[in-house]
Amino acid sequence: MTINIKSVLKNLGLSEMNQGVSTGADWFDTDGKVNISSSPVDGKVIASVKTATLEDYETVVKKAQEAFKEWRLVPAPQRGEIVRLIGNALREAKDDLGALVSYEMGKIFQEGLGEVQEMIDICDFAVGQSRLINGVALQSERPLHRLSEQYQPLGIVGIVTSYNFPVAVWAWNSALAAIAGDVVIWKPSSKTPLTAIATQKIIQKVLKDNNVPEGVFNLVVGRSSVMGDNFLGDKRIPLISLTGSTSVGRRAGRIVGDRLGRALLELGGNNAVIITPNADIPMAVMSTVFGTVGTAGQRCTSTRRVIVHADVYNQVRDAFVGAYEKLADKIGSPLDEKFLVGPLIDEHSVALFEEAVSKVQEEGGKILFGGQKLEGAGFESGNYVMPCIAEAKNHFEIVQEETFAPIVYLIKYDGDVQNAIDIQNDVPQGLSSAIFTLNMREAEAFISQSGSDCGIANVNLGTSGAEIGGAFGGEKETGGGRESGSDAWKVYMRRQTNTINYGADLPLAQGIKFDI
Amino acid sequence: MITKNITIEDLIEDYPKSVKYLADKGIRCIKCGEPIWGTLEEACLEKEFTQKAIQLAVKELIELHQNNNSEEASSIQKINIKNIK
Repeated sequence: MTINIKSVLKNLGLSEMNQGVSTGADWFDTDGKVNISSSPVDGKVIASVKTATLEDYETVVKKAQEAFKEWRLVPAPQRGEIVRLIGNALREAKDDLGALVSYEMGKIFQEGLGEVQEMIDICDFAVGQSRLINGVALQSERPLHRLSEQYQPLGIVGIVTSYNFPVAVWAWNSALAAIAGDVVIWKPSSKTPLTAIATQKIIQKVLKDNNVPEGVFNLVVGRSSVMGDNFLGDKRIPLISLTGSTSVGRRAGRIVGDRLGRALLELGGNNAVIITPNADIPMAVMSTVFGTVGTAGQRCTSTRRVIVHADVYNQVRDAFVGAYEKLADKIGSPLDEKFLVGPLIDEHSVALFEEAVSKVQEEGGKILFGGQKLEGAGFESGNYVMPCIAEAKNHFEIVQEETFAPIVYLIKYDGDVQNAIDIQNDVPQGLSSAIFTLNMREAEAFISQSGSDCGIANVNLGTSGAEIGGAFGGEKETGGGRESGSDAWKVYMRRQTNTINYGADLPLAQGIKFDI
Repeated sequence: MITKNITIEDLIEDYPKSVKYLADKGIRCIKCGEPIWGTLEEACLEKEFTQKAIQLAVKELIELHQNNNSEEASSIQKINIKNIK
């Protein structure tokens, strides 16, 4: 399949210069800096975006405040209907948006399509949820009283997304926020503004055709000098949902916390796979390789560490190296379906990859495969690397850090599975984890209260590639937030406890007497 | 213009060579592939730079950018001369 980027851009309504601020169907001509979006695939300029000014931001927030007053009164299933139509619009645009995700971000086309599918899936999920925003009936201790809880819309939700999932994370948040009766302001990554603009253009027809108030779905492309601390600290925004590094998340947590707002933080991971002597080794290796090199190691859930029992270590190591040798010929343009690994996002990420390769050796590790920047035909953008396998110890400084690139550390363990679990948990982050074993005791130990301390703990599948149906997020320096499926919708709502006295007396709780 | 109040994002977008300069000083501007938030001064203070050291960093970053600009200008000039010959 050949992808014609010019046609893709045209189909998505993008031009050489694009407006970066929208309140739904309306777009604003702004005076902010011009952001040039270049592709990591070939280094070519894709298109430019006029970013927002502080005045634009103010206009959008005011519009969002007005829209919230209207949107919160629309019955939730009707809000769900709008989300259903958005899902359908995304279905129609799946190939084009998937291709743009691939070209602007660098993930392979299959993963670009997968990302759009994730958007569609969460829309479907949210449609169902729109009829299930259920409270709870409780038993009152007072006669002729009814005690219950219900969930109310929260207000404006600020969404900050990262380049590695440039559109799916917006969908995770905004589909649920919309059915909850909230309105959203989206600050996409400055590295991938075009996918965000394309998404807004895809949904704008739905919004216009169905008279959705301007200000429900807002997009503000702006650097952190315009959409930074002021956005996080804005008291008009009760919830900030931020996906990014632990460093940015820590800052966001502090600023949002200072104003006692709510922060949903989805931060870094340092995800490990444990392979025990009871594992199906070919399956473990196959699955783990996708986790290490998928999206060129630029997923929050990418596998960074593989903890292998000494009894099967050599077998696993050799199988890994063999798999990587086969992959060596499958690195190239992500738009060409014969390739499985695309580029890193930019030259800075390549430099950090090279730095990690050097550092692990300085600390006593050994490179088993790869680790070089690729040059020559097809790699002219300078953003392609040969994925790296290194033998290392868990306590190495570089192993304790998250390197957002395809470098994986093989770590040996001895004895009981608990030793492997302890190594796995001995990092600051706590996003995703996995164990490969056919032994029921090991599997259960891994997901028990003394097992993995991560938000995600899988058995016989890798650390990456979560479905939307489960809550997504992690512990410790990963930030503690949960988004996407399960009951993550509750974070977008205000919980209210209601007590109704339908009797003629006024009994006080706890039997307190107060007779005047 | 580079001052201590420039955000890290603006600094690395507009002056990309700053990333290596700051990395050599122990400041990592890129995490998870994205620029960290905050100003140059804040990033320096996190690494316990004194105000004097911050001023020096600003001065060196300006020089780095100016040298870079003049190198680029000179290479363009060389190409032009070559074309004329």
